[in-house]
Amino acid sequence: MELAAFRSALDGWLDEHADELTPADPVELSGPAVLDAHMAQLAKVKNLAYGAGFMRWGWPERVGGLGGSSILRAYLGEALTGRGLVEPGVYCMTEVLAPTMIDYAPAGLAGAMVPRLLRGDETWCQGFSEPGTGSNLAALQCRAALTDGTWRVNGQKVWTSFAQYADRCILLTRTGAPDSAHRGITALFIDMDTPGITVRPLETMNGIPEFSEVFFDDVAVPAERTLGEVDQGWAIAMGLLPYERSTALWHRGAFLRQRLRELLTDVSDGQLAAEAVGTAFAQLYAFRARSRQTQYRMAAGETLAAETSIDKVLLATAEQSVFDLAAEGLPEQVLLDDDDVGQAWRTEYLYSRAATIYGGTGEIQRNVIARRLLDLGPDR
Amino acid sequence: MDTHDRKLFAQSLRQASEQHTGAALDAALDDLGWSDALAGDARDAVCLLFELQGAGNVTSSALQSVLAQALGVGPGVGVVLPPLGKWHSPGVLAGEQLLVQGLAMGALTGGLAVVWESKEPMVAVVPADDLNLRSLSGIDPALGLVHVTANLPLHAFSPAPANWPAAIATGRVALAYELIGACRSMLSLAREHALQRVQFGRPISGFQAVRHRLADSLLAIEAAQACADAAWDEPGTMGATVAKAVAGTTARTVGKHAQQVLGGMGYTTDHPLHQYVRRVLVLDQLLGAGSVLTREIGAELLRTRDVPEMLPL
Repeated sequence: MELAAFRSALDGWLDEHADELTPADPVELSGPAVLDAHMAQLAKVKNLAYGAGFMRWGWPERVGGLGGSSILRAYLGEALTGRGLVEPGVYCMTEVLAPTMIDYAPAGLAGAMVPRLLRGDETWCQGFSEPGTGSNLAALQCRAALTDGTWRVNGQKVWTSFAQYADRCILLTRTGAPDSAHRGITALFIDMDTPGITVRPLETMNGIPEFSEVFFDDVAVPAERTLGEVDQGWAIAMGLLPYERSTALWHRGAFLRQRLRELLTDVSDGQLAAEAVGTAFAQLYAFRARSRQTQYRMAAGETLAAETSIDKVLLATAEQSVFDLAAEGLPEQVLLDDDDVGQAWRTEYLYSRAATIYGGTGEIQRNVIARRLLDLGPDR
Repeated sequence: MDTHDRKLFAQSLRQASEQHTGAALDAALDDLGWSDALAGDARDAVCLLFELQGAGNVTSSALQSVLAQALGVGPGVGVVLPPLGKWHSPGVLAGEQLLVQGLAMGALTGGLAVVWESKEPMVAVVPADDLNLRSLSGIDPALGLVHVTANLPLHAFSPAPANWPAAIATGRVALAYELIGACRSMLSLAREHALQRVQFGRPISGFQAVRHRLADSLLAIEAAQACADAAWDEPGTMGATVAKAVAGTTARTVGKHAQQVLGGMGYTTDHPLHQYVRRVLVLDQLLGAGSVLTREIGAELLRTRDVPEMLPL
């Protein structure tokens, strides 16, 4: 399937099924109920798109896909987020976690599990960060010990997105000595209904409980659920992050363009400075130009690595500029209105404050750029 | 150009730009058939040469050639540029007289194309002898800018219609590449210094404040590069405006960071940084400065209340 054919087929299908696909009117919802609605909408859209084939293109046949270039996935996500059919934050998990399973899970496990994620039957989460492990991911301490073919997991994760909805988790655990850093980490694929797992959502400033604390108390995981090699989990973490900074970012960029359009439609005359509007647009354009190259590099089979830190910083910068503009241009909506339009602007504005924090802070991205791209040597 | 030809051409251009500047570089470009390349595959010719020209801090008549081709006035003819910071056509009609005020650079012997606004933009080639030309030194004497004025009787020419907006757009893209080349050289100079300069018992490249300045420079450069590369895929002139806006802003940022990282060394004329700092200040202003173009883009978005379709996959 070529992109042009995919694009016209998908656009036609989205137009034709607009009634079915459009989210239910979210008026009267707030806080956790908004996230419930986003998750239900995501499952519905993925299920319909899988049934029509669109959610399967760009994925390998051995995991239920129809093959073809990853560019098809980039366009699908752009169309779904750009049309406001899915919230980009909840949609992106598929793009982050499915490639990791395809790359590292035993073939049978990937073949059995990935279709459930693509079809919207299941939600997955990613257990990386810990209370003592924010920017310094290699210091993680959530422990896993292997006895008689079963891992026993003990410890805690935090900032785990959508854990309260998740059926499975890709979990990084400490399997080497406590000070083994990146050499002693193993990735496991865990069923979230296993006894011993407790999920506690965090209350965040935007009112959407996206992130959770997850506690593991002697949780049993079969050895067959090991992803990659024992003690080699750092490679999985490093392999996953570029996915997080490629297709998923492209989708978010499409969402930001749509929000900037809506802002320009609604803003009253004289409310915004032309310079600020031009700056936000130029940043968004630069991100899109950069990310577009990344999509084609990925589609050509190139291994993405540290250079995607540039994409990540460009997007975070553009995102904060767009929502800074929104707060300046639509103060009534962002600050006061409690209708669905006001609430959407407000939660998105507040969420944009975290764009330079989650997924590797702006400082960590710059450290990566300095070390890996500018070859400046160690920083201590 | 296929990949192999492109690589060879790039190598030849690199050698030429490392060995020559000014008229000598023009002669070397003639030998290499750069004008033919420009006529055949403008993208490769412009990307390769202008980035090298910026990186090497050298000059040529290439910008004139790019504009001349877009105006359809043929090779060997220069073009009168708008005054610094402007992009309107440099000619104005006053009755039967054509008043000209602008800038020129590079070879002038083949005459200079002057564009003016009538019902549509018109162009005519004027012999250099008919123009008042005054060499400008200013902040960047090596750039060889010339101040151009004239008061000419219109009946002496046979004007032709000209696509001035298209000429400005390709000129902006070329200048964006030249700025990017200069920025990459400034970053490289700052990086080398940071790795060698030892203070408090270690290279200053180990300090996060220094590393982040250099990282921010690379971020800005890669953003500008992506925009310049994307400009070729945009149907209208908007891509060229964004490319020049981002490249100009980037040059200000990178110049500032490089100067700070190089410390006192970068303030001396013993070190080459100052030549780049001078050059990018002028290049930023040619055909519209980054800050002004950014404001123009914003004003257009506010006027249309829409975000144009950008860069489809």
